[in-house]
Amino acid sequence: MLWQLALRNIWRNRRRTLLTLSAMVISSALLILALGIFSGMLKDMLASATEQYFGHLVISAGDYQDDRDMFANFSSSQALEEQLQREPQIRGYSKRLRSFGLLSQQRNSGPAELLGVLPDQERQVTNLHQHLVAGSYLQPGDSAGAVIGSGLARRLGAEVGDSLVFVTQAADGSIGNDLLAVRGIFSTGVHRHDNSLVLVPLGWLQQLLVLPERLHEIAVKIEDPLRAASFAARLQPQLEGQLQALDWGQMLPEMREVVASYDVSRMIIVTILYIATGLGILNTFFMSVMERTREFGVLMAIGMRPGQVRRMVLLETLSMGAISLFAGVILGVLLSLYMAYVGIDLSGTLSPITYAGGTILPRLHAVLEPANILYPALSLLLVCLLAGFLPANRAARMQPVVAIREE
Amino acid sequence: MKIFLFCCFSLPLLATQVLAELNLRELIRTVEQQYSGDSSQTRIEMTVKTGHWERHLEMESWSLGRERFLVRILAPKKEKGVATLKVEKEVWNYLPKVDRVIRIPPSMMGGAWMGSHITNDDLVKANHIDQDYDFRLLSEDQQSWTIEGLPKPNAPVIWGKIVYQLQKQPLVPQLVEYFDEEMILVRQIRFTDVQTVDGRTIPLQMTVLPVEKPEEKTVMHYRQLDFDVDLQKEFFSLRQLKGRR
Amino acid sequence: MPLIELKSVSKIYPLGSQQVIAVDDLSLSIEAGEFTVLAGPSGSGKTTLLNLIGCLDEPSRGEVWLDGQEVGGAPQPQLAKLRLRKIGFIFQSYNLIPVLTAAENAEFTLMLMGVPKSRRRQRVVELFAELGLAGLEERKPSDLSGGQQQRVAIARAMASQPAVVLADEPTASLDSQASEELLALMRRLNREQGATFVFSSHDPLVISRAQRVVTLRDGRLESDR
Repeated sequence: MLWQLALRNIWRNRRRTLLTLSAMVISSALLILALGIFSGMLKDMLASATEQYFGHLVISAGDYQDDRDMFANFSSSQALEEQLQREPQIRGYSKRLRSFGLLSQQRNSGPAELLGVLPDQERQVTNLHQHLVAGSYLQPGDSAGAVIGSGLARRLGAEVGDSLVFVTQAADGSIGNDLLAVRGIFSTGVHRHDNSLVLVPLGWLQQLLVLPERLHEIAVKIEDPLRAASFAARLQPQLEGQLQALDWGQMLPEMREVVASYDVSRMIIVTILYIATGLGILNTFFMSVMERTREFGVLMAIGMRPGQVRRMVLLETLSMGAISLFAGVILGVLLSLYMAYVGIDLSGTLSPITYAGGTILPRLHAVLEPANILYPALSLLLVCLLAGFLPANRAARMQPVVAIREE
Repeated sequence: MKIFLFCCFSLPLLATQVLAELNLRELIRTVEQQYSGDSSQTRIEMTVKTGHWERHLEMESWSLGRERFLVRILAPKKEKGVATLKVEKEVWNYLPKVDRVIRIPPSMMGGAWMGSHITNDDLVKANHIDQDYDFRLLSEDQQSWTIEGLPKPNAPVIWGKIVYQLQKQPLVPQLVEYFDEEMILVRQIRFTDVQTVDGRTIPLQMTVLPVEKPEEKTVMHYRQLDFDVDLQKEFFSLRQLKGRR
Repeated sequence: MPLIELKSVSKIYPLGSQQVIAVDDLSLSIEAGEFTVLAGPSGSGKTTLLNLIGCLDEPSRGEVWLDGQEVGGAPQPQLAKLRLRKIGFIFQSYNLIPVLTAAENAEFTLMLMGVPKSRRRQRVVELFAELGLAGLEERKPSDLSGGQQQRVAIARAMASQPAVVLADEPTASLDSQASEELLALMRRLNREQGATFVFSSHDPLVISRAQRVVTLRDGRLESDR
């Protein structure tokens, strides 16, 4: 009957209850949605840094990833590749040679980063082939094709079929220069890649740089990018000589910080939003308790103990919490699902923001993670308990004589 | 009265200062243009040494005034015909292997020229040092001057400071040191093998030393130098760059 | 042994910087089964005296004994338990719980005592039949007349068969006919079920029906007959 009493008390002031409930439902639903979008941005950022360029981890010689020194190269061995093929965690790997130089088409020229790759391997690690806006991806066996970023193509005035000249200094000091035919143009939305990156056949670049059979890195894609660090650490002792396995967190330390601080930021957002919501609930419950002062006096006069009065008020707040939790989670999940499958494209008004080596795309796109629902849900109950506790205590401490006299 | 007195005392002082300034600027201009003069034709051997390789190139070059310069590689065979043309602020390279002319974009002007320790910027901006910097005599002894050049406000320069060590008689540079914007020494050029060629006394060997990489250097040795040759502006064309006469 | 015994009881309230003596050195005893009216003009200390008897308030001086037990100084939860077991309350303005039905209001104290639902219902049906409320069990207080509400309040006060039923001006909000009926009802319960009633009133009608009239003036006992 205490339950019944509590439930009926909630519906006593229908309008106020509905207002409070909707505030709770909407705040928790929006919070779930906001956290989902936040997670989505983080995932986009990580994907832009890893799945469009680095890979989840990279095997390279010495300090190559620090200074990109052309001479920090190595030869892949059969044993190494067999080992990479054996690892069940590895979804793909790509052997690469890199060169920075001048790319030119007729009167236009600009700096470019050439990545010599084997097309079949590269498409297992990065997803540039999914971002083509013109032409096609490199085909296996292509001897002098190039897939170039859209920004670079625009700067050079290059289109599919055009031929480009690449000039750089080869490993023997000579002036390496040769022609490339544009096969495809990609656009990822990430300026750094779109404005300078070019994929070329590995053999072509090895010949140009006079680095036959040499590599600068092997990029690896694994099952769970968030476990790249432990996987790299496990791989390291099995690598020969100067080779080092670096995960994306080591190549992009700021990115790692961002991911690591995500849990903290999530709690901060939850806390800030719920402090506001909590104050609203607190206000409502205080009002509802103060209005019923006389009734509490009567209840206590006829024998209700202070503890029972406190419990009754807490039951009221908790059942409101439970109702709004239920509705809020459903609404939040529905909104998140919409944003996960449909999303909102903002590329018309916003440009991508590159931060910590990753790029936040101009779109609202949610990712559903259990923690993004669990945190708001648990916090809402906690807030209801806290917001209910003060008025409940107040009610329990009333003096029946004084309370009954209250009008 | 006070103003009159001030003028009486300060005017002669100002005059000598202006005079000194002009002389220093003139000295630097002479030094910077020692290899070009009004016009010139040279043959150069260039040796570039890095930690990974050492290369030896033979080149032939032409210049006219401050703004026109053409250089073409004669050897080794792999790079024969590779040429660079500078006209005013533009630099083009010609690559015979692919038969293309490439304009060096502004963002690549700091890049190495022909794999050496000389940058494209050196080709474009060195001839304007006397205009872009203000000079000051740091010290002087019987044989030499040490002159410091600091960039004029807003001048489009790449060095934070340049220090020249010049021999007085005959006037030849001995050492030029280049400092970056943080006033850290980044490059030295030493001049040696002073000889009199075509009526001028100049050092025939120039050694570029990047301070950060002590094992690396570029040595340019002038094998032949002719001044005041008969060259027209039209000579410095893309057509000439490609080596078609 | 009297059911209720007040020994030299005083109650002093602070009122600003002054002190108001609501009950002044009053001694009184009431036996079980009595039907007592506390009479006197307003401000004479009737309500304070009822609160003292009802363990809602503590005396400033003196002792209050209820059913052979000294009441003063007990903590709130214990007082609440005492009120639940020994005392039924009827208020001037009924004070039913608006969100509960008539039956639920009546069985509330039984619920607090932990009486099972079926026995609660049984008791309520009995009481409602007795009080002429049969058929109104599921009505909300707001759908009942003043007289009906006050009868539900009586049912609530009597449900747990308390040692004493205290009523503060129970007829003050009722018209004379309803007052008459209510009083008759209470008198009948007193006679038939032996319930002890102590109530305050300044209504001559009510006073005339009382078995014993204790008249107060300025917190002192003026007459007792």
